[in-house]
Amino acid sequence: MRQGAGPSLRRNLTVLAVVAVVYLLATVFVTNSYYQLIMTLVPVWALFGVSWNILSGYGGQLSFGHASFFGIGAYTVTLAMVYWALTPWLGIPLGMLLGGLAAVLIGMPTFRLRGHYFALSMLAYPLAILYVMQYLGFQEVSMPMYRADALRYMEFAEPRIYTLIAVLLLIGGVVVSMIIENSRFGLALLAIRQNELAAEAAGINARRWKMLSLIVSGMLGALVGGFYARVLLVVTPESVFGMLVSAQAVVVTLFGGVASVWGPVIGAAILVPLAETLQAELGTYLPGIQGVVYGIAIIAIMLLSPDGLFWTIRDRLLRRETPHGVGDVTAIVPAAGTDGRLSDGWSLAPPPIPASARRSGPLLQVDRLSRSFGGLRAVSEVSFEIAEGEILGIIGPNGAGKTTLFNVLNGVLSADEGSARLDGRPMLGKKTYEVCRMGVGRTFQVVRSFSRLPVLDNVIVGAYGAGMSDRDAIARAAQALRQVGLHGRAGVEAGQLTNKQLRLMELARALAGNPRLLLLDETLAGLGREECDEVLAVLARLRAQGMTICIIEHTMHAMMRLADRFVVLDHGRVLATGLPRTVVEDESVIEAYLGKKWLTRREA
Amino acid sequence: MDLEILVENVLNAVTAGVTIGCIYGLMCIGLGLIFGIMRIVNFAQGELLMLGMFTSFYLVSEGRILSFLGPYWGPFIGAMCAAPAIFAGGAVLHRFLISRVSGLRTVGSLDEGHFGQLVVTLGISLILQNGGQILFGSTPVAVRTPLSSQAFQIGPVYQGATVFLNKAKLVAFFVAILTAVVLYVVLEYTRLGKALRAAADNPTAATYMGIDVDRAYRIAFGLGSGITAVAGGLMATYISFGPFVGFDYVIIMYSGVVLGGMGSIFGAFWGGVTVGFVQQFSALVLPPQLQNAAIFVVFLMIVLLRPQGLFGRSAERA
Amino acid sequence: MLEVRNLSVAYGGLRALSDVSLSVGERQFVTLVGPNGAGKSTLFKTISGVVPPASGSISFAGEDLLARAPSDRAHLGIAHVPEGRQVFKTLTVRENLEMGAYPKAGHARWAQTLDRIHALFPILQERAGQLAGTLSGGEQQMLAIGRGLACAPRLLMLDEPSMGLAPSVADTIFERISQIHREDGVTILLVEQRVAEALERSDHGYVLETGHIVLEGGYETLLADDRVRRSYLGLTEA
Repeated sequence: MRQGAGPSLRRNLTVLAVVAVVYLLATVFVTNSYYQLIMTLVPVWALFGVSWNILSGYGGQLSFGHASFFGIGAYTVTLAMVYWALTPWLGIPLGMLLGGLAAVLIGMPTFRLRGHYFALSMLAYPLAILYVMQYLGFQEVSMPMYRADALRYMEFAEPRIYTLIAVLLLIGGVVVSMIIENSRFGLALLAIRQNELAAEAAGINARRWKMLSLIVSGMLGALVGGFYARVLLVVTPESVFGMLVSAQAVVVTLFGGVASVWGPVIGAAILVPLAETLQAELGTYLPGIQGVVYGIAIIAIMLLSPDGLFWTIRDRLLRRETPHGVGDVTAIVPAAGTDGRLSDGWSLAPPPIPASARRSGPLLQVDRLSRSFGGLRAVSEVSFEIAEGEILGIIGPNGAGKTTLFNVLNGVLSADEGSARLDGRPMLGKKTYEVCRMGVGRTFQVVRSFSRLPVLDNVIVGAYGAGMSDRDAIARAAQALRQVGLHGRAGVEAGQLTNKQLRLMELARALAGNPRLLLLDETLAGLGREECDEVLAVLARLRAQGMTICIIEHTMHAMMRLADRFVVLDHGRVLATGLPRTVVEDESVIEAYLGKKWLTRREA
Repeated sequence: MDLEILVENVLNAVTAGVTIGCIYGLMCIGLGLIFGIMRIVNFAQGELLMLGMFTSFYLVSEGRILSFLGPYWGPFIGAMCAAPAIFAGGAVLHRFLISRVSGLRTVGSLDEGHFGQLVVTLGISLILQNGGQILFGSTPVAVRTPLSSQAFQIGPVYQGATVFLNKAKLVAFFVAILTAVVLYVVLEYTRLGKALRAAADNPTAATYMGIDVDRAYRIAFGLGSGITAVAGGLMATYISFGPFVGFDYVIIMYSGVVLGGMGSIFGAFWGGVTVGFVQQFSALVLPPQLQNAAIFVVFLMIVLLRPQGLFGRSAERA
Repeated sequence: MLEVRNLSVAYGGLRALSDVSLSVGERQFVTLVGPNGAGKSTLFKTISGVVPPASGSISFAGEDLLARAPSDRAHLGIAHVPEGRQVFKTLTVRENLEMGAYPKAGHARWAQTLDRIHALFPILQERAGQLAGTLSGGEQQMLAIGRGLACAPRLLMLDEPSMGLAPSVADTIFERISQIHREDGVTILLVEQRVAEALERSDHGYVLETGHIVLEGGYETLLADDRVRRSYLGLTEA
């Protein structure tokens, strides 16, 4: 569990319990059987939203085909009862199992896709199953009645019992969701949603977490579907695999608030009664009014408050409060306090370089690395070395191939030729998160922060990427923040930071993974002169602590004071290597930067 | 004898594949403009198709404004009349809703606005489907033309094997080809068409050229809507339809556009033709309920098995 | 002809330009130099209307430019040749030029301007039917300039035309820009990294650093001042 998760979790659980009790008390006063059904459907659709939210809200993998899981749950429960007289108490878990299995089968091919291709493909699955169900003759399957054995077959004459079960299931789902939200799982999903590349560069195995979220989400979806079938007693392919089912999950969550556990609950509590009542009152003259209302609701919410009601309201409230989270990290990191040592032996002092690593050879060795795009050789036979504890500046004019070089080094792009070794071990051909785990931290030209998360959580992502336990990750992240001088802002939402602070936070995120080598891409871009000096001071301090740094910069300006050595790239080739003083006097370098006329003019 | 039936079935599948395929091709061109070229993910494209069908239906049914054209000409002229109506509708949709989640506003944003587009167009789709149910009722209707029950008979080509060419589909086929050619000429050779392509290619640079990119997108969205609506009007002559018909065709359209290669109008057309073929040939071996499932499987295979290069833009930027 | 007065621009909470003033006279050749991230491209984008200013004013030929819609500004005779070329990759070379001639002025003089563009860059005639995306970097740059010329502009704004080009190609480009200025009487506003080449040709120069104009003057003034050299190479201070 992450920092500060304890109290907020307890608070959320209290709220949940109170809401559930009030809701259940309210059911006592509802006597109309149609409204009793609505009382059951609210938690049902809320839970389905919670299920969708885990995949699409936290993970950002937008799915328009969540009905697959809902329908699988519903049909499993129904068919198992029809053919094997299996009680729903067992049928629902069986459905969840199949839902999880379906998630694996669907996820394996579909996660190869991104963005709208993923969303569109997910749409195809429930529809394909729908047609297969029709073909198999399961047009309309009714559950057999077992009046004599009501409890055993979950067949209650009293509709409020269904409401009770639905509420209990929702509580279970919400708790699962809260646990995810407050664990490394949730943090990994949020990181992936914000920027999969940055997440991988921080050591997160995106594919694995996405798959896990789909499985959890699919199992919950099947749970809801199975229970829904039991409540309605009859299933048709359209009613459980249809588009409107998938839309329910999307609509209640978007309306209530994406990536918040409360979102689907709020959304369902408002929209389900509204739509059902309209349907009941006006359905005879205006069939389909429910769909129209849903359509209007999501368009309105998308245009007016794109993240949903919960966030809009929360942001309003937060703005009124005094800015919170000024607390120093030391206050929230008890484990790292006194003796300066963490449970697994991480020292609070900068990680010492293991004796075995103190070797004469270079830390990073790049040999004749090349990478082309079409006809353009973006990186062409680049060779250089970085010694332990050195700061190497990679400089060069626009379009010289600097960022491409980094992308090849940390596995974002593949190399055409050449090799790169970290401490003798080959780096090329590995996935980005694997390169990170070898000990290569990276920052990006454009800072990608997780703006709704506190600074500390942003940094913890990096520590989780290195596979640390929760306690160590928190302590390491706090320490990394101190290393860059941001510890005073640990509790602040990243969205409120200045550009310089964002740069430092990204640096801390890279540091939190205990890297041996840092690849920094234009960390100074867009900074004013004084801000630039502050960041330079941080980098100099890191070097003093033994960190090895490879930094890309456009202008040699600031780098003159920082770097031990320069590699100058131009047109993808190494133009010059050497001490900063020598390099800036090098004629070919001056020509690349200022043009050859500069030289002739100045000399004349 | 068996061979004779086989030959007859295959030949009829080919002709049906060509005629229906070209109508699908036209339908795909509409989405190709919106999704393939402007990169707007439009979920409501199927509903535009549905609106095309109903526009034609309400124009040419008995006692309506165009019913004087008679059952032979009427349905096809009705289909073409759907174009301006749905063009206007599409342009209005773009002006008030789509433009807020696409175009210059979202260039360079994290996912280029795809999340917003998916959600807003899903909303439009829900409103049109269910609103359609309120306005048009849920009983399936059809645009009647005697041509749909008449066929040219070719052959016997091989022993007793005969090819039947449904006249309604044949006329629809020609109208589809004609519309596609007109659109092609407009996009390829007119100033407006070139400006639309330039705006889609690089909206910022297009602004530097003095092109009003918002307006260009609005027109392109309207065109994409109108073209799909014509295809809907043509299909209305040989299928019966209700307000939820669009859904079956959304996946077909996306399959066609993706198969044909993103960003190419021609490609979208051929993609649609291919899907038409797949559908007709699957009818030879699969029961009718599974034909649509077959198309979904094909769609998934296309999306999954095509090398990343085809989706280069989304893959590289991720 | 172009007057920028006290212009400030904020980009996502970040100050990209503060209180920038510069002026370009009729038929002048003005160069703007400065390190990356100094705000040169932002200035161009603000003039073209793609980026809204926080405060300040821009007038062109006596007209308030900020009151005009971005897409109107090309019609006034401002051609922007953007950084990174930004040709329409899926259009042919000829179609790219036609798009350049989208404003009325370019439209009306299409035949002459096309001849002139072909005279300046014969390769564009050879490659007329080819898709712009298949051209080499240098050819794309020529196309981008040609496209700018096609609207028969009064002001041609060029953003780093030498970027990523081999020195010999860059030399050709500079030669053509001078020619356009001399022979066609087009006013030029140039952003360049190759300081000497650019300043040599210009009447006036400005040095932009972290959003401020830190120096302005003629060729000799700027070339003699070490701030230019320092901007790029970071000498002196250390």
